[in-house]
Amino acid sequence: MSSQGANPKSRLFISFVVIAAMLGLLLGRVGWIQATKGRQYSKEAALQQTKDLVITSKRGTIYDRNMNALAESASAYTVTVNPREVQKSKKINEVSVHLASVLGLNKDDVYAILSKDSTYEVIKRKIPKEQEEAIEKKELPGVQLVEDFKRYYPGGSLASHIIGFVGNDNQGLAGIEMIYDSYLKGVPGRIITAKNAAGVNMPYKYEKYIDPENGVNVILTIDESIQRKAEEALKKAVEDYQVENGAACIIMGAKTGEILAMATYPTFNLNEPFTIMDKELNEEISKIPDEKTRTEAKNNALYKQWRNKAVVDAYEPGSTFKAMVAAMALEENLVSLDENFVCNGSVRVANYDIGCWNTGGHGTESFVQGVYNSCNPVFMSIGNRLGTDKFYKYYKSFGFGATTGFDLPGEAEGEFHKLEKFNEVELATASFGQGFTVTPLQLVTAYSAITNSGKMVKPRLIKSFIDDEGKVIKEFEPEIIRQVVSVDTAQTVSRILEGVASDGTSRNAYIEGYHIAGKTGTSEKIPRGNGKYVASFVGFAPADDPEFICLVMLDEPMGSSHMGGATAAPVFKEIMNDVLVYMQIESDVTQEFKFVPNVIGMSIEEAKTAVTEAGLEYSIIGDGESVVSQNPAASTALTDNAVVILYTKETEEDLVEVPDLYGVIATDANQRLVNAGLNIKVRGSSSITSSVLVGTQVPAAGTMVPRGSMVTVEYNYTSTDNIH
Amino acid sequence: MADKHKTASLGKVKKMDYSFLIIVFMLLCYGLIMVFSASSAAAHYQYNDAYYFIKRQFAWSLIGIGIMLVVSRISYKTIYKYSLHLMVISIVLLILVPLIGVEVKGAKRWIGFGAFSFQPSELAKFAIIVFLARSVTANHEALKTFGKGFLPYVFIIGLLALLVFIEPHLSGAIVIVLTGFIVLWAAGAKIAHFAAIGLPALGAAVVAMISAPYRMARVTAFFDPFKDSSGTGFQIVQSLYAIGSGGFFGLGLGQSRQKHLFLPEPQNDFIFSVICEELGFIGAALVVVLFVFLVWKGLKIASNAPDAFSRLLVIGIIGLIAVQVIINIAVVTSSIPATGMPLPFFSYGGTSLVFILAEMGVVLSVSRECEV
Repeated sequence: MSSQGANPKSRLFISFVVIAAMLGLLLGRVGWIQATKGRQYSKEAALQQTKDLVITSKRGTIYDRNMNALAESASAYTVTVNPREVQKSKKINEVSVHLASVLGLNKDDVYAILSKDSTYEVIKRKIPKEQEEAIEKKELPGVQLVEDFKRYYPGGSLASHIIGFVGNDNQGLAGIEMIYDSYLKGVPGRIITAKNAAGVNMPYKYEKYIDPENGVNVILTIDESIQRKAEEALKKAVEDYQVENGAACIIMGAKTGEILAMATYPTFNLNEPFTIMDKELNEEISKIPDEKTRTEAKNNALYKQWRNKAVVDAYEPGSTFKAMVAAMALEENLVSLDENFVCNGSVRVANYDIGCWNTGGHGTESFVQGVYNSCNPVFMSIGNRLGTDKFYKYYKSFGFGATTGFDLPGEAEGEFHKLEKFNEVELATASFGQGFTVTPLQLVTAYSAITNSGKMVKPRLIKSFIDDEGKVIKEFEPEIIRQVVSVDTAQTVSRILEGVASDGTSRNAYIEGYHIAGKTGTSEKIPRGNGKYVASFVGFAPADDPEFICLVMLDEPMGSSHMGGATAAPVFKEIMNDVLVYMQIESDVTQEFKFVPNVIGMSIEEAKTAVTEAGLEYSIIGDGESVVSQNPAASTALTDNAVVILYTKETEEDLVEVPDLYGVIATDANQRLVNAGLNIKVRGSSSITSSVLVGTQVPAAGTMVPRGSMVTVEYNYTSTDNIH
Repeated sequence: MADKHKTASLGKVKKMDYSFLIIVFMLLCYGLIMVFSASSAAAHYQYNDAYYFIKRQFAWSLIGIGIMLVVSRISYKTIYKYSLHLMVISIVLLILVPLIGVEVKGAKRWIGFGAFSFQPSELAKFAIIVFLARSVTANHEALKTFGKGFLPYVFIIGLLALLVFIEPHLSGAIVIVLTGFIVLWAAGAKIAHFAAIGLPALGAAVVAMISAPYRMARVTAFFDPFKDSSGTGFQIVQSLYAIGSGGFFGLGLGQSRQKHLFLPEPQNDFIFSVICEELGFIGAALVVVLFVFLVWKGLKIASNAPDAFSRLLVIGIIGLIAVQVIINIAVVTSSIPATGMPLPFFSYGGTSLVFILAEMGVVLSVSRECEV
């Protein structure tokens, strides 16, 4: 149109249209970029524009069952620097001198860090409050204090193997800290700050703060007091019995599976988990010249120190396993309680003579007596009746050969014979708990089937999870693993084990005033014959309605005795006694009557033994060779502290005056009579509490009676009783 | 000149086109706001003074406004008179630039020193308009022939462009060529003639591209800026990030994050990206709409211009602005290969702004003479 005589006006219009169209297209291009790629570009842009700073979340507290904190986190600060900023301020020297002096670091080291070409370096982690304030006050250029949390373990070494510890970044490295790390750690928050292309924060505020979510608080089933008691008792036992290879103890709620205490000796300090507690060993290791060997030795020592024997170490259970074997045989109706067995000290199985621990033999004994005596031949013969298949079935059913699914890491399964090699001989030894290994935890769990009417409970360490306001997030309920044996079988075995504790091999575990039941165990470690044993005791109380199961295991007692009855049983007694009192289990003290044996005509030595065996004390009058008379007479029922007077000659009777007991507190009355050389007999109700006072007494105060005579007292229970 | 009687009454100044003036002021204000916003970060980092660039730009715009108002009172006939002088001065200065010019980033585009330094190419852009407007008015019929009319003008444009090109200042050369062609076309040059030189020009463009590695890199970066987003594609990628981040409403005035050392000289060639990021599509549309109005009003003045010279003068100036705006936006939106092109009224730069405002003064001066 414009080739000839161009129309200026039309070209102007075309110009406008072209320019406007091009500008319009370019605007369209902007819109198109924003619409199609906007999200991608802004995301990529944000990536290069922002700097993420993680805010540590507060790690949850670990409490015992009574809300005593066992592990808690407190604010701590980490000193970070931006070396470029420090360099820009031209105060490297000043800053490094100040930081070094406050933090106790080498000035040159700090200077070196500050001279780096970087924007972020950590100078020191988790500094104490004073240092934080000292740095804060100075307002040093390029120095930043980042809030962090430091883990504290108020109990130090208490329950160290259960709680575990955390690493530098508060990550759980052992125990509950490790297993429940994902709950405890919470969700870290973030501060997203804008940065420019040089990586430096932008001069204006552009911040997004995402709150950290604090970790969940964990309440353990552990009771701090019981745990402490168990640890102290183990420590003492290790000293008393010269235990070489550590010890373990578990106290479990028989009905709930709640672990009240789980102690391992030696312990370690949770606040310094990387310090070897054994000072001698530590020194020895530090003397190793070769660094590699030294590090290796140190690591080995640390791993050993961190080992939770109660869960990780499997050992031969020995006679403690006989309770299971008895239960198997009773459940299968393969033995009756009064069936008689004969023990000649050994039994020939295949081509082997397998001995009883009592090489002299127990002679003829009933099944029950066989359990009391922990007689190996009795168990070998009932093991034989069970056969390998049933034995193995119950072995598995009692939870052996598998982990319990416990809340701590490294749980062992224990070892058993390969089934094709599990034959007559292996069965015979397995019947008295040898030739396979179990963990203390497995054994305690298996015993819960006995105490809990055949229902085996799952052991657990966690009671609940709560939030910071105390609201329960998750409650853990007792879990029954399975019915292993019938209610009858369980109760029968329980009753037999009670007898073991009062009359059998476990007498040392006997606790005055409580019915307890239990079984000792002594197993020789492999290789046999080098005098190393594991002594153990598993027991429960109160026997008629068990609340607690307790296992004590001493690895290599090298003192005067290595027997479970002589070493582990007393430890059990000490711990269980405290547990029962602490847990306010009602004592049934006065129902424990001791009957005076007839010792007239016995030699002094015989008489002493007989009286002691009856659970009584004696006092010898005269210097004859045999007992001529006794007071009280045979078959008199006596209570604690009672003394039997043994007269060795026909001497004139030793008379003592009966003290006045009117209005005296019940417990004091007994003591006064004992002091006077007399014995007490309570008439009427026998349940004694300290608030009860003596109402009447026979004979009356001031009467002269022969030493050892009975004084009958009657208590006033209430003021109304006093009226008649 | 045929219209002498119109300016006979000396001393009495006719009304200029205020609507055009208002658009100029709107663009100038918008530009100043954005220069401040875009430059504050860079100013802070570079000079530790967020106001470093805006203070200077503001001062220059005051000077520019003064010059614009003065120029608007000078009759375009004065410019007609001195059009040859302007051309000669431009050529001389362009020749001097490689000899006594100040080197900035590998290119000598500036002459003089300190506050008195300026880019002769800015003068050349104006000179070619004035020169062509006068010359084609005088040789109106010759323009329609290829050999005697069209080609000589192309050579003159080419000569000026070449002088700018060797600084090297490719974008300046492109602007001179395109602006010159707009004037020729508006004056009635044949489309066939443009086509006849189009092909060789394309060849020259390819040679120009290949001859400088940095230009070649820009072309490959154009096809896939993300391939080397930290190298040759860096500027374009950063610009796209800015545009993409803005969305429809933008992040808010002053909220650009890309201006924090990501975008190179955000107050300069990439100021449009910052506008997109901070004010979104709306802000970009406002820029485009203002320029469309400016072009509309400018061409309206041209169509009402008293004579051919003044008409071509205004068309040239408006074309000059349009060419720069289009190339600038096309570059930052990755629509054409990258070349350093400032956005008139917006990009930081004293010489450029003063020349633009002076040129607006010329348009306003013509507007006084318009027959409305």
